[in-house]
Amino acid sequence: MIDKSLRWVDDRLGIAKGGRTFLDKIFPDHWSFMLGEIALYSFVVLMVTGVFLTLYYVPSAHEIVYHGSYIPLRGQKVSEAYSSTVGLSFDVKSGLLMRQAHHWAADIFLGSIAVHMARVFFTGAFRKPRELNWIVGVSMLMLGIINGFLGYSLPDDLVSGTGIRIAFSIVESIPLVGSYLAFFLFGGNYPGNGVIIPRFYVLHVLIVPLVIMGLLGAHLGLLVKQKHTQFKGKGKTENNVVGSPMFPTFMAKTTGFLFMTTAVIFLLGGFAQINPIWQFGQYEPFQISYAVQPDWYMGWLDGAARIMPSWEFVGWGHTIPLEIFLPAIIFPGIIFNIFVFWPFIESHHTKDLAYHNLLDRPRDRPKRTAAGAAMLSLLFMTFSASSTDVMANFFQVPLKDVLWFFRFAVIIVPIVAYVVTYKICNEMRAAEGVGKRKRAQIILRSPAGEYTTVESEPRPGDGHEELDAIPVPTYIDLVPPELATGAGVRRVIR
Amino acid sequence: MRRLFKARYAVPAGLVGCVGLLGLFGFSPGPAQAVGTPSTATPVTATTSSSSLPTPIGQPTAPSVSSALKATSPSNKTGIFYVNLPASFIAPGQALFAANCSSCHGPEANGSTGVAPNLQGLGAGTVDFWVSTGRMPLAIPGVQATRKPPRFDRLQTLEIAAWVQSLTPGVGTQIPVVDTSSADLESGGTLFTLNCAACHTITGAGDALMDGAYAPSLHLATTTQVVEAIRSGPGNMPRFGSGNITNTEARDIAAYIHGVIQHPSNPGGFALGGIGPVGEGFVGLLLGVGILMLVCFWIGERT
Repeated sequence: MIDKSLRWVDDRLGIAKGGRTFLDKIFPDHWSFMLGEIALYSFVVLMVTGVFLTLYYVPSAHEIVYHGSYIPLRGQKVSEAYSSTVGLSFDVKSGLLMRQAHHWAADIFLGSIAVHMARVFFTGAFRKPRELNWIVGVSMLMLGIINGFLGYSLPDDLVSGTGIRIAFSIVESIPLVGSYLAFFLFGGNYPGNGVIIPRFYVLHVLIVPLVIMGLLGAHLGLLVKQKHTQFKGKGKTENNVVGSPMFPTFMAKTTGFLFMTTAVIFLLGGFAQINPIWQFGQYEPFQISYAVQPDWYMGWLDGAARIMPSWEFVGWGHTIPLEIFLPAIIFPGIIFNIFVFWPFIESHHTKDLAYHNLLDRPRDRPKRTAAGAAMLSLLFMTFSASSTDVMANFFQVPLKDVLWFFRFAVIIVPIVAYVVTYKICNEMRAAEGVGKRKRAQIILRSPAGEYTTVESEPRPGDGHEELDAIPVPTYIDLVPPELATGAGVRRVIR
Repeated sequence: MRRLFKARYAVPAGLVGCVGLLGLFGFSPGPAQAVGTPSTATPVTATTSSSSLPTPIGQPTAPSVSSALKATSPSNKTGIFYVNLPASFIAPGQALFAANCSSCHGPEANGSTGVAPNLQGLGAGTVDFWVSTGRMPLAIPGVQATRKPPRFDRLQTLEIAAWVQSLTPGVGTQIPVVDTSSADLESGGTLFTLNCAACHTITGAGDALMDGAYAPSLHLATTTQVVEAIRSGPGNMPRFGSGNITNTEARDIAAYIHGVIQHPSNPGGFALGGIGPVGEGFVGLLLGVGILMLVCFWIGERT
């Protein structure tokens, strides 16, 4: 029956060839290759929960009187956006779970992109021929951050409203075009005449997700086209891919992983409260709460703005507020340019223009690894600077001291991280067996009284374990059988 | 299919899938029930509870707490009335002050330059705030006195306040008794956001200010202490007279702090400290991404 209907479709669309390529796609089994899948599956959760939220959310700044079930707000004039968000949290069945799962999924989506990107960077998977896919990935990271900010702003609560106010100032700080651009985006001077919520809504639910989906398709399409990279190891060369086929092994694994990602997100959504907007109240431009941070993925920008000294340029009848223009426009601009152009910067530096399908161990490329550590520590320092007030309060030190600490730390820590990482990499390369687990030394005494030392058997998990042989199902077999056999692995000639 | 399950990773993956399904279907709560928590809006009339609550104006001596609160006085319609401490409190108060406070503030409570401020004219309410929150007597001289368990019980605190008040009769902040039974939480919330959240934060958790000062957490403040702070402006806090914030409005703010700030509605689960995205970021990255990385490590190959 299935066979018949598949044949029917194949006769008309010719899906067999593409389907076979898909089912035969080989996935190297290293755990770090699955990090990107966290992002993929949290994106799926974002789409599903997001569609649920759009059924109840009203993207309007129109003011109404709140009559919902949260008592302290009753009778207060709020926007429809805020009222409907509180309403879907309290008065819609499982609405709060969906809202919280959506928010946690966004945090995890961007977190897993960062981890995945670090894996790709430190193993050199971005090198020729995969520079394009690296750029596609960086673009998705950028769009993910933007869409996170847009979504965070939609409930129109006090905390996110403060964020929109800062965004207006950031746009305004751009020399020459800033004020025109800001007025264009907000439909007039801040806070605009209620157009910003509907505009953010269209961007958040339609335009940016569409672009991300397009890029995601390109990301995965390029992955299939160019095939996976793999670590050096037994039987692995630049010209093959060793691992499990899409069907059946990898499909079982990845489906389980989809469920697990969903489970973690929904467990957090059910047990850990995130962004309780009913406690914050409606945003009014003349009100503010102290101790406001953005979501974590914006933290590095917020921190940079916090520790920037208040410099400004005044001349020719114009003022350029460098205190916001440098940290909020120039700084992320430089960072993302480094991200995008890194493959070319590196190949220009190393003069290495060869194809690379085998990955580097981070220690074998000390300069790249050290540069990555320096970049991560710079971003981590500016990220931490986003919570200067929380740290000052928690450790009971003056806020000014914390601020000055970070002003120095963002310069010193990356330099130290570079030097230390470089040294560690070189040390590890020089010494044999670093990073491997020691085996027990067993001392034996022969009948003649002679002592000898032997090494114990490898412990489980030491070294590479061969998989049990999985005979390749004949119905998807494309490669000659002699290539398909072996110690549980399948080899595809590139 | 048998081959599928022979595959080394199919079994863990299947387990993972089952856990995932359980997580998906097992933990969908119904509509949030704990909405708005009407219980938090109930008046808490005995926040200044003590057997020795002072006498409201025109009352016989030594009334019970509840009768003192029900007492009718001219300003009671606002929900706040200010108490007149009995004259019998003054003598023991002077003795307590001499033993515990006078070494810095002087025997006549007029302070000493560079060490301690003059207390004359500040009123019983100001003294009650500083002593009942444990800020006085000062443990360590610093930028700002820290809240700690009070050294004196309620009666002793009021006796000290009565003595300081007796030096300048009728002047300064009086001790308020706050009746929140008919308070308006919506008005209290709006006023709180407008006047208090800029330093104490919107959740009342408090935060660091410049030069080592900080806005303290509001989670332990009683309604009496809230109104005393509004009226006397301790430390860096501005002083709000009845022209800025009326007695009714002060009552609403105190009710909001007690009913909503101190008993927030957290139907979404653990509140993660109520400090916003810093706590949420930690949980999202360490728990969320962390657990999923462990899952990768579990179902992936480790070479």
